[in-house]
Amino acid sequence: MRIAFLLVVLAGAVFYSYIAFVDLDFLTRRGRLGPGFFPRIVGVGMVLLMIWVTVDALMKREADTSPAQKWADVVTLMALAIGYAVFLRLFGGFIATVIYLGVALSVLNRGRYVQNAILTVAIPGGVYLLFDRLLNANMPPALIDLPF
Amino acid sequence: MDIFGDLLMGLSVAITPINMLYLLAGAMVGMIVGVIPGFGPSAGLAILLPVTFGMDPISAIMMLAAIYYGAMYGGTITSILLNTPGESATVASTFDGFPLAKKGRAGPALVMQAVASFVGGTVGVILITILAPMFAQVSRSFGPPEYFLLAIMGMLTLVVMIGKEWKLGLISALIGFALGTVGVDLETGQGRYTFGSAELIGGIYFIPIAIGLFGLGELFFAFYQGLHKTGSGGIIQYENEERFWPTAQDWISTRMTMARHSVLGFVVGVIPGAGATIASLMAYSTERSISKNSENFGKGEMAGLVAPETANNAASSGAMIPLLTLGIPGSASTAVLLAAFLLWGLRPGPLFMEQNPELAWGLIASMYLGNMALLAISIFAIPLFVQLIKVPYRVLGPTVVVICTLGTFSVHASFVETYLMFAAGIIGFFMRLYGFSPAALVLALVLGPLAEEALRQTLTISRGSFMIFVERSASLWIIAITIALVVFLPLLNRFGKSAGQAEKAGG
Repeated sequence: MRIAFLLVVLAGAVFYSYIAFVDLDFLTRRGRLGPGFFPRIVGVGMVLLMIWVTVDALMKREADTSPAQKWADVVTLMALAIGYAVFLRLFGGFIATVIYLGVALSVLNRGRYVQNAILTVAIPGGVYLLFDRLLNANMPPALIDLPF
Repeated sequence: MDIFGDLLMGLSVAITPINMLYLLAGAMVGMIVGVIPGFGPSAGLAILLPVTFGMDPISAIMMLAAIYYGAMYGGTITSILLNTPGESATVASTFDGFPLAKKGRAGPALVMQAVASFVGGTVGVILITILAPMFAQVSRSFGPPEYFLLAIMGMLTLVVMIGKEWKLGLISALIGFALGTVGVDLETGQGRYTFGSAELIGGIYFIPIAIGLFGLGELFFAFYQGLHKTGSGGIIQYENEERFWPTAQDWISTRMTMARHSVLGFVVGVIPGAGATIASLMAYSTERSISKNSENFGKGEMAGLVAPETANNAASSGAMIPLLTLGIPGSASTAVLLAAFLLWGLRPGPLFMEQNPELAWGLIASMYLGNMALLAISIFAIPLFVQLIKVPYRVLGPTVVVICTLGTFSVHASFVETYLMFAAGIIGFFMRLYGFSPAALVLALVLGPLAEEALRQTLTISRGSFMIFVERSASLWIIAITIALVVFLPLLNRFGKSAGQAEKAGG
């Protein structure tokens, strides 16, 4: 998994450098330093260091020994967060938060039905009051209008 | 105007009902953030920064600063009662804090940590009051070459403090610099890495990245570590103890400890990259080596709790000096504070105190008041924080996701920024897992555009010659200090870490 992550970062560094060298000018027409000057230094530095780190990691390759359960909990939380992002676009801030908390608490805080039900309504209510009423901040609008 | 007059003027700015209200709210929120394991001041500041947008700049900066130093107070409560530090700067407080609680002295330990934090914080603010104008005076002659070198110094010191994984720290910083180059180049108007997206023309906004890395990333990492399963079962019940208040012996035996480590912590805090964690570990180790009761350290010695507590609060004050006078944050938390200043159109640096005396001195004055408020809160609101510790992480986790998400959206009403925050959260988790440094990334994201602008101005002035960096005496001084720090800081780091490891092995 670590190697995969390093390779993804390396690929990103190569892509960043490619754009810096191909699309961005090193000097302006007046002969001053252009928009590509700094990205080229940063890009080359990233690529060289990433190659060094990746080669090091490949040479001392160690198996991932972390228990599957550790990953399962994190992946569940990440998946729930991504689902929340999707619901947010579709149903707006308040409804998406109610749905997200309802699902998240029933998965993570199993068996406590009354507590979960109260939190599922109380937290979005509190957050709505804080952001929308007290701070007059933007709450995400819904793409799909619900009948309530 | 003299320092005393400036401070009085600052006090008149700070003591308004609305400012006091925000100061108290910031102190309280800071303590709450400190109490939650896995969340430090940087996470708290990043998550709550959007909340301050509707406020007056002085109130907002005062509140954010209170969150920053308030987190140092709160982090110790879990160190003492649960043997789980709220954040890295309070790890050293577990060494003697938890044994004290186990001995039935949780009450005196909680009071003494609050007093030690107050002394450290207040001595730190007194030293800021005296030294900040002097620092600003010295740095007044700085130009673009010096600003570029200072930015590099800030980055390098943070990277060398990472230790063995310095390459990953440097890569994290370069990723931050790379993200900082996204958007329209202000000198030529050419778009960089925007890929035709209107949302990216203005660059990658700092807040979604900071909230993602420090908020969601830390939360995912806490779940990976299994914090949601541990609960608060091992919490020490202090309510039935015979005596809540410390004894006269506690006060007498620790008075010099507080004096020593206020100064030590402040000095370490001023050094960019060193920070409160190293200060607290150094203070613990130093106190143990000079104490007459060194054999009691790790078994519930009050001086072993007071030393790191004084030092970490003094260090968080010390870190404000390079931020206010040079515009260089030495840590992730002060980087978020710098970003807050920039959002308000304020540019900390040599002229900051001269051009914004009300704000600068109002902030310093508010830190005196904030420390007083925190002393009262951290003693009398202990039962409240104990209740908070009992909230299980499996409930806290989804709630934090909601606050991070809606907080990010509320800034610009942008779904793109919200998705960016989620992406930063997932990347931040992998960065933490595999030894990268989210703090270096955020610091570089803030400093990157400033460093690039300064470098291009420098090379324009010198007509492309890098010799300008050694021709100016101020630049030469900064280079010399940077080299000294790069050599000296790893030794300091090793000293602090070895103290922590020795304690773990012994305990």
